[in-house]
Amino acid sequence: MTPFDIGLIALVVLVVSVMAGLLVPVALMACSFAGVWAIKGSPELAAKLMALAASDTIASYFFGVVPLFVLMGFLVSESGMGRDAFDVANHAFRRIKGGLGVGTVGANAIFAAITGISIASAAVFTKIAVPQMVRNGYAPRFATGVVAGSSVLGMLIPPSLLLILYGILTEQSIGDLFIAGILPGLLLGLVFGLGIVAVAAFAPKALGSPTVPEDGDLTQRDILAKGLPIVTLIVLVLGGIYGGIFTPVEAGAMGAIGALVLGLLKGTLGLRAIGRVLIETGLVTASICFLIIAAQMYSRMLSFSGLPAGFGSLVADAELGLMAVLTLYIAVVIAMGMILDSSSIMLILVPLMLPVMTGFGVDLVWFGIITVIAVEIGLLTPPFGISVYVIKSTLDDPTVSLADIFIGAAPFALAMLGVLVLVIAFPVIATGLVP
Amino acid sequence: MSEAGAPARDPLPLRLLDLAAMATNIAGSALILGLMVLIGLDVAGRNLLGAPLPGVPEMVSLSIVAIVFLQAPQTLGAGRMARSTALPDTLSRKNPAAARLLEDVWDLVGAAVLAILVWATWPNLVRDWERSTFVGAVGDFTAPTWPVKATIVVGGALLVLQFIARIWRRHRRAAERVA
Repeated sequence: MTPFDIGLIALVVLVVSVMAGLLVPVALMACSFAGVWAIKGSPELAAKLMALAASDTIASYFFGVVPLFVLMGFLVSESGMGRDAFDVANHAFRRIKGGLGVGTVGANAIFAAITGISIASAAVFTKIAVPQMVRNGYAPRFATGVVAGSSVLGMLIPPSLLLILYGILTEQSIGDLFIAGILPGLLLGLVFGLGIVAVAAFAPKALGSPTVPEDGDLTQRDILAKGLPIVTLIVLVLGGIYGGIFTPVEAGAMGAIGALVLGLLKGTLGLRAIGRVLIETGLVTASICFLIIAAQMYSRMLSFSGLPAGFGSLVADAELGLMAVLTLYIAVVIAMGMILDSSSIMLILVPLMLPVMTGFGVDLVWFGIITVIAVEIGLLTPPFGISVYVIKSTLDDPTVSLADIFIGAAPFALAMLGVLVLVIAFPVIATGLVP
Repeated sequence: MSEAGAPARDPLPLRLLDLAAMATNIAGSALILGLMVLIGLDVAGRNLLGAPLPGVPEMVSLSIVAIVFLQAPQTLGAGRMARSTALPDTLSRKNPAAARLLEDVWDLVGAAVLAILVWATWPNLVRDWERSTFVGAVGDFTAPTWPVKATIVVGGALLVLQFIARIWRRHRRAAERVA
């Protein structure tokens, strides 16, 4: 057997075992260990490589971004800034048809600029926006669908954990990736908002029988009190990075400190809440970094096998063309999104696709945005759209079934597909702002 | 405390393991908080006093590995490691015994892989300890690397035990349901 064959077998075993429920990091580590053993003929070497990956992969200053941005995201959620974003967005959109739906999208877009985790947005807005919409006559299916759909804005509008992961995998600048996410994120939010208004105008029954909420008005003072902390955090984090004052790691720390201070000032963060946030941050950090370590072993094993290079030349020989390859890639990503979480998909597929994309000479920042949108579509597709599960478990309402939420989210997944096509057709949407 | 019908209390080894996982989890969380404060002081010192803290990049790079391996046992215990549950869920509805067998096999694979990792990291821990390996620059800031290797060994060993505990718990629950 050639190393190429071994690599291919390891890949197949990986996919099959993951589908059969093996923990993704364990599957990555086991297949890499067995693969290196088979290729190099030495179990000792394979074990040493594993130990090396565990101690060296994430031992860099740079990886500080992961826990710090996760911490900032949870502090922001816990301190009630999601509620503030929702109130401000509602104030802006309350007069138009489907206003609460548009307000939820707007609130998610604002919230996305101070947090980088889709799941955090989904949990926060399920608690805030769904009850409010249902009270005002919106159908639960629509209400949960809006929350599921607009939660993906969190991963596109910077800061974004997925873009950080992609930057780590492909050695692209996280600052550039963040900028590249802004326009596609805003475009997606705009498409969502316009879509809701259009449905409210032409097929209002799909929304239920919405009424205009009476209590949406805010005084200028309220808007300032609710909006200012959020604006402060956005300026601190994004301004800090792009003003060249902070590294992304420092921006994460300053954002977390800022969120902590604001939460304490607002009186919404108690000691118990901070403890809960720290534990949760630890669990998310460990599960992601553990995946990164395992993915590092896997990508070393792949490069020993020559599979990515061989795959690259195979694609080149087939003369498929960039568009055909991208279409296939996106189909695979979305299909994997039906059974796996976004980080796992990215860590499994991107190392394999990188040489192919480099072969085409494409802009890897642009490819990153495409990857993130495609991965996020998977968050909304059955049977395993994570966002939908988070909403279901946060909502805790037996009258709203998983199927309801999936159906409600389907139009949003379609809208994302549309934006994805636009970003592919006009790369300038992603790369236009990148210096 | 135990009421009629409530699940029986876990045996001592399982409770000790839970305690250990929770202890390392709290240590890891404290490290994250420490990281935030450290970087905050560094930024403040640099911009306000013109005096950055020495060794912050080294401290960050070392503590991030420690954070992950200290938190991993609890992450596994809380069922938060990334996996696809579609097939096991379907299987456990149709054939619970087969589903348990599949999960047992996967947990054994997990225990084996992590045991290999611990076994391969141990010599590195001993080496770093004996040679007093450090990162940083002499005279400015230095930190020993052995504590990081130690957290990998401790966290890895706890993960092995967690995988075995998962098998144990699964069969205890199944036995209770039959009883």
